Amino acid sequence: MIDPVQLYAWHFMSYPHLPADFDEKYDTGWVTVPNKLWDKERSRGLLNSYIDQLAYADQLGFDGMVLNEHHQNIYGLMPSPNIIAAALTQKTSRGKIVVLGNLLPLHANPLRVAEEYAMIDNMSDGRLIAGFAPGSGPETFNYNVPSAPSRDQFWEAVELIRRAWTEEGPFAFEGEHYPLRYVNPWPQPTQRPHPQIWIPGARSRDTLTQIAKNGYCYFLSSRSHGRETGKAVDRFADTLKAHGDRYLPRRMGILMSTYVGETDAIAQEEAREGIWYFLRNCLKGHQRREGRQLTFGPGVPYIPPSEFRDYLAHSDPTTPLLGDTQDWGDLQRAQSIIVGSPDTVYERFMSVLENAPVGHLLIQFHMGNMPDEYARKSMRLFWTEVAPRLKEATGRMFEERFGRDAAALATERA
Amino acid sequence: MSLRMIDLGGRMASVLEQGSGAPLVYLHDFADVHGVAADLLPFHEALAHDRLLLAPAHPGVNGSDDMPGPHGIEDVVFHYLQVFDALGLATFDLVGHGVGGWIAAEIAVRHPEKIRKLCLLGACGLFVPGEPIADIFMHTQPERGVSYATLRRMLFASESTEHGLRYYPDGRGDLDEETRRYQMIRFCSFVGFKPPYLYNRSLIERLGRARMPSLVVWGERDGFTPIAHGRAYADRLPAAAPLEIIPGAGHSLPMERGESLAALVGAFLNRA
Repeated sequence: MIDPVQLYAWHFMSYPHLPADFDEKYDTGWVTVPNKLWDKERSRGLLNSYIDQLAYADQLGFDGMVLNEHHQNIYGLMPSPNIIAAALTQKTSRGKIVVLGNLLPLHANPLRVAEEYAMIDNMSDGRLIAGFAPGSGPETFNYNVPSAPSRDQFWEAVELIRRAWTEEGPFAFEGEHYPLRYVNPWPQPTQRPHPQIWIPGARSRDTLTQIAKNGYCYFLSSRSHGRETGKAVDRFADTLKAHGDRYLPRRMGILMSTYVGETDAIAQEEAREGIWYFLRNCLKGHQRREGRQLTFGPGVPYIPPSEFRDYLAHSDPTTPLLGDTQDWGDLQRAQSIIVGSPDTVYERFMSVLENAPVGHLLIQFHMGNMPDEYARKSMRLFWTEVAPRLKEATGRMFEERFGRDAAALATERA
Repeated sequence: MSLRMIDLGGRMASVLEQGSGAPLVYLHDFADVHGVAADLLPFHEALAHDRLLLAPAHPGVNGSDDMPGPHGIEDVVFHYLQVFDALGLATFDLVGHGVGGWIAAEIAVRHPEKIRKLCLLGACGLFVPGEPIADIFMHTQPERGVSYATLRRMLFASESTEHGLRYYPDGRGDLDEETRRYQMIRFCSFVGFKPPYLYNRSLIERLGRARMPSLVVWGERDGFTPIAHGRAYADRLPAAAPLEIIPGAGHSLPMERGESLAALVGAFLNRA
């Protein structure tokens, strides 16, 4: 029996009080965006209202809540997602808490992550999904993380944490980057053998191989979903096959953004300000050509030169990025932020899922400076009017497409 | 000019060589041979008129294999000791530019007996309070996806010099040249990002060991390594000539001032 698509609410916790002329006056929302723009008075209670939105998703019945880690930027005010996760353990009772993820190369000793995740797993009675990410360009500048060795460091840290959760301690870890004489963390996670591990990845074959080999879940880090998303599923399925495994939807997740209103017109009207604030301001320095994008490129050399050469040969530096989107038409074509009535949103989500049959949809509801009441309304309409249909349709579709593989896997494992 | 691949116990290093006579080792920078250009520049060819010039490419750059790690400048110094052994060099002249200048200084303080004369061109490597080495990593990220103007300002006398526009054009450059640029910044990320940024705080106190005759040359408009670093090198190297400042030049002296720089460096090397 295959689970239908799992639906999670993802909150990025963006800074909503930028001046109206931010885009004209400031060339980035990342790393060097002046923090004098933080308005102490208007920001009182902000993080708590974001936490409450996630708790509301849990009350509605969402399968989980998603957090992630960013530093020194207006896009995500969660330098430590574990602190938010700790709050959610006390405010929620049923959904998974997905931290996607802790940025391992930023830690002098990744054992700290093993410990904090174990605490969250205990405090939530086994609801943690443990995400690990290597970080990208901005972290290089924010935390003085050299790009070139960061991928090696990352995989070593993942290995250390997995072993810390599964091997009897104390043991010595003879790592190149994190040699430790005594690995013996207390507490241990509640879930056995360990919380599910999710790893974000984009274009690197090496990442897919590591994920496939170790039984982790693959989260495709992309904000747009055209044919490439389907290709990513195929590529991951091929990699799993090469390692004697089979693709099932539960092994993969993607990020979607949406706003659901009663009608297409109402949805557009209510979402407009928040979405354009998000695209123009929050993505500036990350996914916009305007200004200096720091996420990926020649100054943050974390991929091998052969892969970079391949990227150069197959890309055009003038292609617009998501944040350069000109109008609603562009936005809809990018399959990135889906805005509309429950019918529209259901149809558009299903077309993404038919092309890319993934088992986890991590959905951003709050965007930019969207008011609290709109974010909640959109979540409520999604959960009551879209989610049941998605669950029903994907349950059927996954069974048809993957039922035999699931049965075969169960037999092989038995 | 010929290309030599030398074997360092299973990994190869690529060395360009030209001329004959007393050996000179040249260690490269960004806008330079290996760092962007495939071949020696007129500066190197002029120096090779009356000596043997050897220009190795740093690990992972322009045909040289990656090395394990490297975990910092110490590993790179040891790599070069292996290169010198493989080339059979006992004593030689050492010229380093920018990042190559930093490596040259690190070698000179450890093995002064190997170096007959030392020449540093816009070398980084020192920590000088209040005079930070520019953030080449951030400025290697283009503005609007296409503009390398601020990177050109860092590496050349202005953003619109002939060499700057030739080797760091806006938009997509030559695929091989862009790949070499990437390899060089990646090498620097390995050895020079942490501790920040392309310097070694311990180096300045060690310079007293490098007692060989030394020449320190700086571009007046160096936008990468502030001229205060040139003064510090010239002050602290025991046998350094007074700092030579090239009017109107930027950071990338060998590319910007090939012939006249070769004359200056050649005269220093030939001086009795």
